[in-house]
Amino acid sequence: MELGTFGAILRSALDLESRAAAFYRAGARGDLEELFRRLAEGSEKRTKELERARREGVAEMILESISGLEADSYAVVLDPAADEEKRIEQGVRFEEATARFYRDAGAKMPIREIVRLFERLAKENDLRRERLTA
Amino acid sequence: MAETLKNYIGGKWTASDAKRALDVRNPATGEAIARVPLSTAGEVRSAVAAAKAAFPAWRETPPLVRARYMFRLKALLEEHFEDLARTVTAEHGKIIDEARGEVRRAIENVEVAAGVPSLMMGYNAEDIAVGIDEDCVFQPIGVFACVAPFNFPAMVPFWFLPYAVACGDTYVVKPSEVCPMSQSRLFELLDAADLPPGVVNLVNGDKEAVDALLADPDVAGVSFVGSTPVGRYIYATAAAHGKRAQCQAGAKNALVVMPDAVIDRTVAAILTSAYGTAGQRCLAGSLVVAVGDVYEPLKAELVRAASRIKVGDGLDESTQMGPVVSKKSLDRILSYIEKGLAEGARLLLDGRKVKVEGYPNGYFVGPTLFDCVRPEMTIAREEIFGPVLGIVRVDTFDEAVATIEALPYGNAASLFTSSGKWAREFRYCVPCGNVGINVGIAAPIASFPFAGMKDSFFGDLHGQGRDAIQFFTDRKVVITRWF
Repeated sequence: MELGTFGAILRSALDLESRAAAFYRAGARGDLEELFRRLAEGSEKRTKELERARREGVAEMILESISGLEADSYAVVLDPAADEEKRIEQGVRFEEATARFYRDAGAKMPIREIVRLFERLAKENDLRRERLTA
Repeated sequence: MAETLKNYIGGKWTASDAKRALDVRNPATGEAIARVPLSTAGEVRSAVAAAKAAFPAWRETPPLVRARYMFRLKALLEEHFEDLARTVTAEHGKIIDEARGEVRRAIENVEVAAGVPSLMMGYNAEDIAVGIDEDCVFQPIGVFACVAPFNFPAMVPFWFLPYAVACGDTYVVKPSEVCPMSQSRLFELLDAADLPPGVVNLVNGDKEAVDALLADPDVAGVSFVGSTPVGRYIYATAAAHGKRAQCQAGAKNALVVMPDAVIDRTVAAILTSAYGTAGQRCLAGSLVVAVGDVYEPLKAELVRAASRIKVGDGLDESTQMGPVVSKKSLDRILSYIEKGLAEGARLLLDGRKVKVEGYPNGYFVGPTLFDCVRPEMTIAREEIFGPVLGIVRVDTFDEAVATIEALPYGNAASLFTSSGKWAREFRYCVPCGNVGINVGIAAPIASFPFAGMKDSFFGDLHGQGRDAIQFFTDRKVVITRWF
């Protein structure tokens, strides 16, 4: 699906965070329990930030159409029932794809506060990926 | 069965005893989603009487306390933000992003009105004569009313209501009968904010209700947003009854593009201006005035980009343009396209051909672009209020300004340029109330007045910001000497 509006991009970001939270919550067991629980909490916090951005960042005068961004480009399969190694692999791929999403989407956003938020979220995704591989 | 909307009078939800009612339709599907009663003059009288009864105690309520109601209201609006936006889209058709933007602006007005303890402060001078001091105080006046349009069903009443209430006046809203649901939802929140009964009132209806408000001797002033003929009528009728009036009316907004404009950003801004809210904004650009050599590249880019706009149900986040508000609007817009063709304009993009899969009964018309538009054509002079954009070609900046000056309206105009000189000249001389420089929708934020000139505005004080504070108050001068 092409993400051609401010709302579509924010919806997609919220979907990514919601998937991340569900994956890390359901996959928080064994040696990964603490790390995954914290990552899930992080995703839930990011969801709230994105919801606030969608509510407060919308500016009618610059709601310009956006092109060249496809939701499918950032799809990663997540299976919280997988073994520990696979869960880490999936988590890493997901964090990489999500960071890429925020950077690509941020470059197309006409609203500077949202650009800054997306840049910060992308950096957080880099750190989350590092924690998964540490 | 669709819900029948109620009136909110004296702090109570009241079923109307009107004999007449209309269906409220979702423009994307054509289905009835509510019934709106067309209230009687007697019901309007009850609302005004409730507002009048509430006024003495409300005006004595300290501004700081009145501001706290605004803070409570703001919190409720934030809490119900998404639901409100979805209601706007359901009844109006605009895309959900635009609806969110509209609700945001409504909230901003509550935020600005919460500053009333400072905004309402008067001024004074000592020793205007020896031993004599003079004070000017701002005082609330009484009952005010608003007659709202369909195109911003949540926001427009909030250009006025928060300021009136914060200033100590009491209020009656008559929402658009085409899109009345957003105001009902907002009044549920006003009710939850625990304003004293009668401070705010809602009466659904049509011209009968409007005429009752205009004739009522207990209504001190009226705010209106809508078409020019109705604005002129309301202004004249209100004045004849000794009321204050501020009437925002129609528009025909030009977007002037200079040869040094940044084309890709300019085109994005033009498309948002012309086709956002399906062209049903009073700030919508409906004429592109291409100056000199920019004409060919601008035209090509407009066609390319406008043809990619995705039309559909506004609740689908991927949609970039929703339907128009009603079958009546759709028919009117289609008739303007016919007129444009009959008068010799060339159709570059024909919105009549648009089909939205799964929505056979929606009121859809796609982005429409005319070339070879001349200033004397009907489509260049009249407000179409739909996604129809015409390109006028001129040779010079002065000709572009003259094109704007010749229009009967003066709501908004925008200039796209990289030159500070042209920008300064444009903002200085165009006879329009809202001017954009490299901005296609020159929408003033809540702390600025929503301006307008010529046939786009009747009155002197506008909605929003400091103008609103002045409109909803009287200045009283007190000269004091002590023996």
